Amino acid sequence: PPKKMLQALKGSARSASPVVRWLDSVWESRVSLPRQDRALKTLQEMPGPSGFSFAWDLFARGGLSRLHELQVEGRARYGPVWKASFGPILTVHVAEPALIEQVLRQEGQHPIRSDLSSWKDYRQLRGHAYGLLTAEGEEWQAIRSLLGKHMLRPRAVEAYSDTLNSVVTDLIAKLQFSRRQNAQGVVKDVASEFYRFGLEGISSVLFESRIGCLEPQVPPETERFIQAINTMFVMTLLTMAMPRWLHRLFPKPWRTFCQCWDYMFEFGPGPVQSWPTWLLVALVLMPEVQSALRREVEGVLGGREVPGAVDVAQMPLMKAVVKEVLRLYPVIPANARVIADRDIQVGGYLIPKKTLITLCHFATSRDPRFFSSPARFWPERWLSREEGHHPYASVPFGVGKRSCIGRRIAELELYLALARILTRFEVKPDPEGGEVRPMTRTLLVPQSHISLQFIER
Amino acid sequence: LRAEDKVTVHFVNRDGEKITVQGNTGDSLLDVVIDKNLDFDGFGACEGTLACSTCHLIFEKDVYKQLGPITDEEMDMLDLAYGLTDTSRLGCQICLSKSLDGMTVKVPESVSDVRQSVDVGTTTS
Repeated sequence: PPKKMLQALKGSARSASPVVRWLDSVWESRVSLPRQDRALKTLQEMPGPSGFSFAWDLFARGGLSRLHELQVEGRARYGPVWKASFGPILTVHVAEPALIEQVLRQEGQHPIRSDLSSWKDYRQLRGHAYGLLTAEGEEWQAIRSLLGKHMLRPRAVEAYSDTLNSVVTDLIAKLQFSRRQNAQGVVKDVASEFYRFGLEGISSVLFESRIGCLEPQVPPETERFIQAINTMFVMTLLTMAMPRWLHRLFPKPWRTFCQCWDYMFEFGPGPVQSWPTWLLVALVLMPEVQSALRREVEGVLGGREVPGAVDVAQMPLMKAVVKEVLRLYPVIPANARVIADRDIQVGGYLIPKKTLITLCHFATSRDPRFFSSPARFWPERWLSREEGHHPYASVPFGVGKRSCIGRRIAELELYLALARILTRFEVKPDPEGGEVRPMTRTLLVPQSHISLQFIER
Repeated sequence: LRAEDKVTVHFVNRDGEKITVQGNTGDSLLDVVIDKNLDFDGFGACEGTLACSTCHLIFEKDVYKQLGPITDEEMDMLDLAYGLTDTSRLGCQICLSKSLDGMTVKVPESVSDVRQSVDVGTTTS
């Protein structure tokens, strides 16, 4: 039967697309379909750092804030699959697009995004229903279905255009306000403006109300909410790495975590709003791309000021620019999967069920085998489907049932904002800030305040 | 609904069997698969939210040309589909119209089919 299946497989993959042909050959050669004569290797045989050296990397070498760099190091040292212990949790790292694809295709009906044990503990403590990010099984499915219908379906997303445009109007006003505080029209700390813009956008969609993140004077309630979200993300990492019994010894992060959660209700930390900043920095560093994008936007709008979802559909360069920024600076540099109901096969290894699998998206999206000159910001690579990169090499929002629930809204919000910013302003480096530092590889969140000059057009 | 609002669709499943059903005009092919309880394992995992490519279907060439334009969002998801062909589309994005009456669509094999059939022979779990 395997032989027959393989033939059928080839039949369906017969296509003119070079990507598919390439995939096909990858499938046969490197992924290596298990054959009777080829025994699967076990977790014990998998390479990886010792528990001690990984802990050293994480805590002594500041690895918690640069987990994404450990991916690249791990890939170079151990190959496409390796294991490491993260606190009490053993995790299998997968850093090859074809193997990430294998994992995602075997995830089954109710994949678990990761074993975020403190979130679960916390919700149990409070007797709440599980939240979207940590819930499992049927209950999770019901929440996901409901939110997906309202937040992901193309027609539902289009319906948010007006709401999001009103948030963009506030962003433009806020940028105007901030640039007027400076003689040369420099906006200090652009990332913070975008962070608040992102929160206001999420709030306008989820709570159907505006919370005033972009007001010159942010309401105190809203300020507390913003702080809560800031703290949450760090705490997730901290509490994940801590064994449960340690919580009793070191209750502080745990208590902070609980306090933050009070403000969070049903949704998790949400996307870190750093990508719009990276996007603008990239456009400042590459003024010719900025001009080309502005031409595209103005060509489509033909004199109108406010774009809609329909206009964005006609802006291929805009989409390519966003994809390229997300390739270089993925919002979530690694994703995780726990497949609870069965063992799976990945890259010749048998991975027992309930193993935490880390998908190393950062490593694959900067791998020169999949993207030529990977460190270069080059949006044009996305404009031709012939470029032939592996489709699973850059999946910044994840794929399938566990993919980012806010993806489409975040994308639309960003397209609408960028279109308005570019028609309104020319964005340049801060004339007094010296050179805008090219994006560092060390941190995915802008390290220091980024100031940019907004020149009215 | 009147008879003229019905569209006949022939599905060819992963075992090569032909299943003929009738759907309502305006319904997507994913709606039809769900309404008729067609058992294609893993089909439509994201429930038509354009977040996966499990409702991937292969069309006949002349039918494919009649289908509406493909959006960038569908194209991006389709790239992630297994066994992509030149006449592939996502079932959740194709709505039935009278002009599609009598079409045949093929449900492609999925990797998990191959894996599961192999698994039986090689693992002991």
